[in-house]
Amino acid sequence: MERLFCDPRRCVACRACEIACAVEHTSSKELFAAVLHGDLGPPRRRVQTLGAQPYRVAIGGVALSLGCHHCDPAPCVDACITSAMHKENGETVCDLEKCVGCWMCVMSCPYGAITPRVKALKCDLCPDRQGRTGRARYACVEACPTDALFAGTFEEFAQVLARPLERPWEVVR
Amino acid sequence: MNRYVMVGASAAGVTAAETLRRYDPNSEIVMVSDERVIYSRPLLSYYLAGKLNEEQLLYRPRDFFERYKIKALFTRAVGLDPEKSQVHLQDGSAITYDKLLLATGASPRFPAIEGIRERAGVFGLRKLEEDAKAILSWLPQARRAVVLGGGLVGLKAAAALKERGLNVTVLVDSPHALSQMLDESSARIFEGLFERNGVPIRTKAKPVALLGKKNVEGVQLASGEVFPCDLVIVGKGVDPNLELLQDTKLRKDYGVLVDDHLRTSVENIYAAGDVAQVRDVVRGEPWINALWPCAVEQGRIAALNMLGRETRYRGSMRMNSVQFFGVPVISAGLAVLTPGPLGGRSGEHDETLESRPAPGIYRKIFLKDDTIVGFVLVGEVPIEAAGLLRILMDRRVNVADVKEELLELGPDLGYLLPLIAQNREHFVEREFQELVQTVGV
Repeated sequence: MERLFCDPRRCVACRACEIACAVEHTSSKELFAAVLHGDLGPPRRRVQTLGAQPYRVAIGGVALSLGCHHCDPAPCVDACITSAMHKENGETVCDLEKCVGCWMCVMSCPYGAITPRVKALKCDLCPDRQGRTGRARYACVEACPTDALFAGTFEEFAQVLARPLERPWEVVR
Repeated sequence: MNRYVMVGASAAGVTAAETLRRYDPNSEIVMVSDERVIYSRPLLSYYLAGKLNEEQLLYRPRDFFERYKIKALFTRAVGLDPEKSQVHLQDGSAITYDKLLLATGASPRFPAIEGIRERAGVFGLRKLEEDAKAILSWLPQARRAVVLGGGLVGLKAAAALKERGLNVTVLVDSPHALSQMLDESSARIFEGLFERNGVPIRTKAKPVALLGKKNVEGVQLASGEVFPCDLVIVGKGVDPNLELLQDTKLRKDYGVLVDDHLRTSVENIYAAGDVAQVRDVVRGEPWINALWPCAVEQGRIAALNMLGRETRYRGSMRMNSVQFFGVPVISAGLAVLTPGPLGGRSGEHDETLESRPAPGIYRKIFLKDDTIVGFVLVGEVPIEAAGLLRILMDRRVNVADVKEELLELGPDLGYLLPLIAQNREHFVEREFQELVQTVGV
């Protein structure tokens, strides 16, 4: 199954993924309209600083963008008392119609990837973008200006991590 | 081909049956249950409040048994004969098993109060038919309700009845409400919240008699004070259903004792859910945490072991999430300083981290030897950190270096990644291993 990963060497903590994610989960899917209509909810992934270090570009970045890992077995699915949180082809999905906001999933997620806002909000792997291909498949991946976000299996991502980072500024100099 | 028998069809039994079928398409699976529908007990208070209808309580499709090719026996199991590998049923018949799962759950504890069994209009809140539906059909004649017990079930029932327009009073034996879940100062916030919403909570109130002729007419306290009422809900906790263990050699304490593979002391018999006494990871001793997530996980792991797919159960911990009148609270571990029904232990922590960014919003984290042993989080933003604090507590990680961060912690896993990398041997899940490899610390 395809999942989303972030290369901390490339993440410059610009938060473009957060905005793109929040916008993707509005009815208009357009930033200005979403803000205008008060439709903009929280992003389902967040840029996080690694450890207590402030972000420093000179060492290649120490931030990364994190969301749901779609793990299996998923503690949030175990904890859900309505079966709103469930597995669908390996993806962990919350059926918002069924969610009663008991926050058992929030309590159970070891990655802090679920946001309690009336309903349990989390990465749903952009269901409205099904059919799109390449970087456009996921809003956050498409929005990432430094190619830090990666969609694929972890084995594929591990190959990316194993490659030495190209440092464009060194080439220019 | 094996015959797997499950006694009980709630969280543990259902998850076990699904797991068995997933890995063993052909064996016979039998479920014995005295309830015909599979529904979510934690949702009963939503049903009582009128927020959910019966259909919405069903967390599995109505054709669950057919879909998973499960033979359902809607009757009571009344006896167990491990010598013959048989479960005796109420109609006098018996069913033979190759592997048996005891998922019999628990029942509301009715304290020894005069009249509690005799008067009509006195209910627990555990089962759909005999409790929730019975309460609903009693409601037309009820105007004033008394809830005995200030625990989760009691307070959820009280809030639900208030929603239905009744006058509700909660009587609590303990010095404060939610004594199994919150420390005193946290509990005061919720007592005030209930008060402001028209549900008075009386603490240190010891009921001694339920008054009335046929129907309940009032609750009398030890002090002599009487609370007139026409409906009583008993929310004094639950006791494991151990009837089947009578005349057997199965080791039990407060519940059925199981090892870290959820095996009982007798071969081919496993136990999971509210009846099983498992290792509590924070207390480090056998305990029952009668909680939905624990029952589901135990059901799955018991089934894997019944299948011969050896799987170790890490243990359970107390954890509660609830929202009253719009204020969410999550607490876990030893946030409790008063003894519980199993004796309990107090003063388990030697340090408390506390932050109160705004009135009624706060975090409290209890430490012992720089390891998290409990926490209470109140408010929408603080509760987002619950999962992270819980995994640190579960894995017994020394948090000496991140104490300040813990109090400011949002859902910031990144903050904790260096610590997790240092303790990577305790974070064996594939996703944690991937993260550690990703950050390369």
